[in-house]
Amino acid sequence: MYKVVVPGDFISDEVNRAGEGTYVDDGKVYAMNYGIVHDKGEIKVVALSGKYVPTNGDIVIGKIVEISFPYWIVDIASPYEARLHNSEFGRGTERKIEFGDMSNYLDLSDLIVAKVLNVDALMRVDLTLRDEFKIGDRGRLIEISHTKVPRVIGRSGSMIKLLKEKCNCFIFIAKNGRIWIKGREADMNLALEVVLMITNEAHTSGLTDRVAHFLDSFKKNREGDRE
Amino acid sequence: MGIEVMADIRKDYVYDLIESGKRADGRGFRDYREISVERDIINKAEGSALVKMGDTAVLVGVKLEPGTPFSDAPNKGILMTNAELRPGASPDFELGPPNENSVELARVVDRGIRGSESIDLEKLCIEEGEKVWMTFIDIHALDNDGNLVDAAALGAIASLLNASIPNDRYGLAGEDTLSIRDTPVAATMIKIGENILVDPNLYEENAATTKLTVISNADGTISGVQKSGTAGLKEEEIAEMLEIGIEKAGEIREKYLGDIVV
Amino acid sequence: MKEEEIELIKDGKRLDGRGFEELRPIKIEVGVLKRADGSCYCEIGNNKALAAVYGPREMHPRHLQDAKTAVVNYRYNMAPFSVDDRKRPGPDRRSVEISKVSRDALDPVILKEYYPKTAIDVYVELLQSDAGTRTAGINAASVALAAAGIPMRDLVSSVAVGKIDGEVVLDLNAVEDNHGEADMPVAMVARTNTITMLQMDGRFTKEEFERGLKLATKACHEIYELQRTALIEKYSKSVGEGEE
Repeated sequence: MYKVVVPGDFISDEVNRAGEGTYVDDGKVYAMNYGIVHDKGEIKVVALSGKYVPTNGDIVIGKIVEISFPYWIVDIASPYEARLHNSEFGRGTERKIEFGDMSNYLDLSDLIVAKVLNVDALMRVDLTLRDEFKIGDRGRLIEISHTKVPRVIGRSGSMIKLLKEKCNCFIFIAKNGRIWIKGREADMNLALEVVLMITNEAHTSGLTDRVAHFLDSFKKNREGDRE
Repeated sequence: MGIEVMADIRKDYVYDLIESGKRADGRGFRDYREISVERDIINKAEGSALVKMGDTAVLVGVKLEPGTPFSDAPNKGILMTNAELRPGASPDFELGPPNENSVELARVVDRGIRGSESIDLEKLCIEEGEKVWMTFIDIHALDNDGNLVDAAALGAIASLLNASIPNDRYGLAGEDTLSIRDTPVAATMIKIGENILVDPNLYEENAATTKLTVISNADGTISGVQKSGTAGLKEEEIAEMLEIGIEKAGEIREKYLGDIVV
Repeated sequence: MKEEEIELIKDGKRLDGRGFEELRPIKIEVGVLKRADGSCYCEIGNNKALAAVYGPREMHPRHLQDAKTAVVNYRYNMAPFSVDDRKRPGPDRRSVEISKVSRDALDPVILKEYYPKTAIDVYVELLQSDAGTRTAGINAASVALAAAGIPMRDLVSSVAVGKIDGEVVLDLNAVEDNHGEADMPVAMVARTNTITMLQMDGRFTKEEFERGLKLATKACHEIYELQRTALIEKYSKSVGEGEE
């Protein structure tokens, strides 16, 4: 049962359970977002839309937009830009990257997978590279609303597991709504179509089953075509 | 930048003071600062008034000149109000096109004059459909210590009363002075915490969460209301402010416009 | 405000057949624009207002940023073809003032602290005008902000009241506004009955003013229900054939 609320809707009197997406006024819990109420343990309103705001520990896919020694400035699909210090690249080695050298390691428009190291009170976002993970030339990068990411992953990863198996692709979903898919052309197209289906029907129930069904019938048709 | 920091510090100080029932200059919550109205001080203007409320000073000048009437009001004169927040009046005023505060100031004062129909625009008709008197009310803020709107509105009506019509300059004949039928007066109140104060000075204005200007006439009718600022108001608060506004306007009218026969 | 005298009330009804306390027909559509982060199209009678919200997004120029909260910008604009006499493009003084009071009407409900240093830009275009445009704009903007995922305490609803032929009436159209005696646009938060915009133009006695305000607040509650329904139904549509 999904209950949609708009800002200002009354949700509950149980003020002690008020969580994300709600606010408390005069002993009552109200919705702060246009979204869906989740009432298990904590009372939350999961927003249907909105911008991604980084928090410590998030894994994001970023795009280099500026080189400003000693930082790369990274676009992370957020109202806030992030930065990557050049000492992050080559941690644990003696590498020290000079001013002119930076573009040899990461250049404008390069894509990276990084972890949010710290967001300070002034909203300065520092990233750290995981194992120097730069996304190569192969594959496809797509961007969806970060609010749909949990659905694409599914409960305990059930949805993403289904996708990886049935589409036969490498799929990496970042917290900020960017997804990197790598595989054969036809397989990537299928994965893309399924991701779009999930984002359009994110809040319906029985979605995982419907996706599984769709993927199975698609494969059957494809096998049928081959014969 | 230095000014901004100071204002924030001041905000808490003003708030605490008000909460304890006091105002920094010792006034009561319903007291206006000392007001002075000096009329006819600019000899080039057809009407003028210098209004001071405490340290706030606004000079209003009225100029008349013949012009073409609007097509939908061929027998009516034209009224235009403009406000200049000159950089000399405050470190926060910059040169450039009118910003939202000066636009709002002019429009609110204009509303009060127009709503009360204090100027008989039909009497400003020279030749129907061809020529009418255009009345320019120009508000020049000289020194900003808060509540420019009440000073400007008072200056506007004071300038209009006794304003002359410059027939000679244009080789025309007609009435010597503007025919004024009513005396709209603006009274502005602010809210700090749960307290309502009249005639805010600059620090109080910056510390206020919301402001309400009520323009009323001699018969107690209202010819303009403007809320500004970001806090909300309840209906009961608005009713209270309305009453205070009408009362204060009456006091100001009697004291500073009372000698002029309407 | 008066031009030639015309009778605005005939046999106890207004020229368009409405009763004194009747709103014009209202239509609210959510999510009509692709590029905006949130959008809403609102019709009140013959007014057509389109609100687009972008943000929170990076705020430029930097020196206007607020280190602690988002900055809300509101720009009301009338299309040149939206009125009888073509309106020259560009902001005029009236638009500047309307933008200011509209922004102040919405600002109190927006939880700006969640997005420091950013800008939340609200663009309201009036495509067709028939008096009450600023109220249509605020109604649309409020819904567009929610649709964009901006955290808010409440929605804001808006309507104007006025006086025609001596009677206090709700939701003036252009003929009534041009020939009437007073015009009072109001915006409020229905949940808390808190008024966030109030202006008056013309002449009211104190009693008429208070009666008008009561009429406006009652209508705002009705409008709030329409805004809420539009948002809820938009969600159900996007769900498609999902089981509940």
